[in-house]
Amino acid sequence: MRYAILLMGAPYSNQASHSALRFAHAVVERGHRLEAVFFYHDGVQNAAGLAAPPQDEPHLGEAWVSLANEHRVALQVCIAAALRRGLLDEREAVRHGKDGVSVQAPFELTGLGQLIDLGTRCDRLVTFGP
Amino acid sequence: MLLHVVNRSPATSRVYQQALSGMSSEDRLLLIEDGVQGALPQLVPYYAGLEGRLFALKEDLASRGLLGLCDASVQVVDVDGFVELTEEAERTVSWY
Amino acid sequence: MREQHDDNDLLVILRHGPHGSSWLKEGLDAALVAAAFGRRVSLLFMGEGVTALMTNQQTGALGQKGTAATLEMLEMYDIETLLVDAQGLSCLGLSSEELMLEVECLSSAALARVLSGHRLVLTF
Repeated sequence: MRYAILLMGAPYSNQASHSALRFAHAVVERGHRLEAVFFYHDGVQNAAGLAAPPQDEPHLGEAWVSLANEHRVALQVCIAAALRRGLLDEREAVRHGKDGVSVQAPFELTGLGQLIDLGTRCDRLVTFGP
Repeated sequence: MLLHVVNRSPATSRVYQQALSGMSSEDRLLLIEDGVQGALPQLVPYYAGLEGRLFALKEDLASRGLLGLCDASVQVVDVDGFVELTEEAERTVSWY
Repeated sequence: MREQHDDNDLLVILRHGPHGSSWLKEGLDAALVAAAFGRRVSLLFMGEGVTALMTNQQTGALGQKGTAATLEMLEMYDIETLLVDAQGLSCLGLSSEELMLEVECLSSAALARVLSGHRLVLTF
């Protein structure tokens, strides 16, 4: 089956991101195709490239990147929710005249249309909220 | 048949009521995160009528020291079982 | 008997009122985008979400826009299926006649049917 995950909880504030990541690996291990994780609401904070959690804690940002690289999972971040919360890729940083860049590939800033597309295209969409 | 997922404890949140009001008589309910408290014998009456359709996530019970304390009417599944439940249901609806 | 909204593509469940959090706004944004993409969208105002439909809403102290203006535009987006959880209304002592838009009130029994009647359900 084709799966997608919608994640709306901020990392390190509640369990949603951990739950979503654990579910993502289980989906892949059961032989399904995980098309994408869509980050919305406070979930966009998962794309914060400057997050520096203590070394003895799971690094959620890096864990999403590994998932994306190992299983070709798209990491789609709602651009409107991200910009409001200070999450900008290089293109948006230039566009808004900002010095820093806080979102790096494979995270991609994209529109909500992608979420609707995933919901239509995938057999299953599972939401993790805070 | 839909799978409903609840991550809040019925002892502290009314989210369980929203989930119950959205459930048909065939739908299933999975308790995850703090929601697994609802599997304890003292709290499971909040889910009266769901016998055979009520599940709780093993990993979240274990991390909270609650594994083995669940009511006998609750079916404990691991995360692989969580995915299986989403396969079997037409859709998954999350209540948080 | 199937009702008119039973074969809509997307059900957006709104469970939060305006101003207190961004849930309502971000849920509505998802609904508007889906409608703009040609999906048939239903909105279900549930629990505290029914307060999204109060008349006489205003901007916040810092000029936060709120969501009432967005709700007034729903018809332009062809979002015409507006459902309200009757229990959410009665909990707050409100009735559907007091709301800013015409809505269909649903009993608990009808809620379950609405959820299973949509191909995709998003909860906010």
